[in-house]
Amino acid sequence: MFEFLIHVSTMACLFGLLALSLNLQVGFAGLVNFGHIALFGCGTYGAAIAFANQWGPVAGLLLGGAAAALLALAFARLGRNLGADYWGIATLSIAEILRTFATNEQWLTGGAQGIHGLPMLFGSLPAPWGPLATLGLCAVLLAVCWALCQRLVNGRYGLALKLLREEPQLASSLGYDLAALRRTPLVISGLIAAVAGFLFAHYTTFVGPDQLYSAETFLIWSMLIVGGLGNNLGAVAGAFLMQFLLAYVPFVKDALGLPSEFVAAMRLTLVGGGLLAFLLWRTQGLIPERIGGRHA
Amino acid sequence: MIDVSNVRAGYGDGADILNGISLHAAGGEIVTILGPNGCGKSTLLKCIAGFLAPRAGTVAIDGEDVGAVPVHRKVRGYGVGFVPQTDNVFATLSVSENIRLGARHLPRAEREGRFDALMRQYPTLAAKQNRKASALSGGERQILSLVRALIAGPKILLLDEPSAGLSPLMMHEVFDAIAGIRDDTGMCIVMVEQNAFEALGIADRAYVLTLGTVAMEGRARDLLADPSMRELYLGGSVAG
Ligand SMILES: Nc1ncnc2c1ncn2[C@@H]1O[C@H](COP(=O)(O)OP(=O)(O)O)[C@@H](O)[C@H]1O
Ligand SMILES: [Mg+2]
Repeated sequence: MFEFLIHVSTMACLFGLLALSLNLQVGFAGLVNFGHIALFGCGTYGAAIAFANQWGPVAGLLLGGAAAALLALAFARLGRNLGADYWGIATLSIAEILRTFATNEQWLTGGAQGIHGLPMLFGSLPAPWGPLATLGLCAVLLAVCWALCQRLVNGRYGLALKLLREEPQLASSLGYDLAALRRTPLVISGLIAAVAGFLFAHYTTFVGPDQLYSAETFLIWSMLIVGGLGNNLGAVAGAFLMQFLLAYVPFVKDALGLPSEFVAAMRLTLVGGGLLAFLLWRTQGLIPERIGGRHA
Repeated sequence: MIDVSNVRAGYGDGADILNGISLHAAGGEIVTILGPNGCGKSTLLKCIAGFLAPRAGTVAIDGEDVGAVPVHRKVRGYGVGFVPQTDNVFATLSVSENIRLGARHLPRAEREGRFDALMRQYPTLAAKQNRKASALSGGERQILSLVRALIAGPKILLLDEPSAGLSPLMMHEVFDAIAGIRDDTGMCIVMVEQNAFEALGIADRAYVLTLGTVAMEGRARDLLADPSMRELYLGGSVAG
């Protein structure tokens, strides 16, 4: 049970990172990204490809980060020519193309089987300490990224992002460079997602295309919406809440003696139903967005 | 100051909305752009401001071709102030926050100096400076968006339908403010308007657009007396 708790907490931290990074785009820059999981995938495959070629984990982290930054810049570039809704669809398509690429380019990505056997980050430590150290690292990184996001969205830069979201035309007529304003959060968001992917790859020791389904993007979206779009603490809270809820679905199944298909169905229902309920009844999420210390 | 010549422009890969328009505006004058709904007035203004690059022809400021300069650089580097037709205040910010945004690239002392001067000049706005912009009336919002453009100290002011949605009384208040800006500062003001006769009342010169071309141009006084203007605006046909 203790190990399970550590596992769920670690996953919650990783998803917390993903929720934070998506929140930077959706909640603060007004960028409706449906392909977020691809940025995470840059991190997982960076780690896996570096491992397969024996370049070492540092190279894996750098590779993943560089790929995510490039992908984020490509997303930003697309955004210059597309309206917000079309951009969302375009990001979704790009994520799907990259997943297909990962499935088919066996020589690079191990194809549908993926790449197995990545080393655990603290694999040399004895039983409870390895996973605990991983959890500690994930938690520290989550705290650091949270602080980074807080710094970014408070003060002048955050105000600029808010104005950009509220009245883009007016913001540019006040001298804000919209393209640059969108680029920065996208790249930082991509880097955070890549860090999460890197940690995830070395935690589960396996990287494959099945980890990059768009359903994962929507899971992160649901965490954001439950936690409150545009609030960093809310994003993390939403990730923890969803992760713990989903982790305990199997126990509910056992307690009620339900069939095991129930688990998969229940996860989907929880994500979809929870999202719907929150959208209908609490459009602000658990912790609403704050601007300048006041509730907006 | 502004020279637009033979400009063609449109959105995305759509058809041309402006079909070869030429316009000139000098410092110290109000030039108003009139014409029926959808004829391309806002498009022309956006083209001058830099939201839209001309497909052909040139937009020049003080003789320099600035057709490809995007709006954020025109605002900071070329002394252009632009007030959009709708959504021209940040509703969730206070009045004073809105105004200060207009001068955020200036040093603090200069910004505060101008802010105080403008507050003395527009006392009704000053009285509400701590309110949210969403709590202002339509006329107050227009004044706010004007003041926010003024705090940057522009040479050129581009206004898109400053009287849209205002009562006649408020419209006159806004127009008086605009005429006052011209008289006090000698700025070059280009103003798109629906309320043709009231706009001609404060303008020096005017251009009347129909379907992306200039149908009439001249001194405001002459156009006011022109019978075809009356026909165009008081039940006449657009073809004029
Ligand atoms: N952002 C846009 N994208 C595509 N077409 C537009 C856009 N804005 C305006 N138009 C079209 O351009 C034409 C002229 O519009 P506009 O310049 O706003 O007219 P006006 O300001 O004179 O009422 C209209 O047919 C309008 O539908
Ligand atoms: Mg218009």
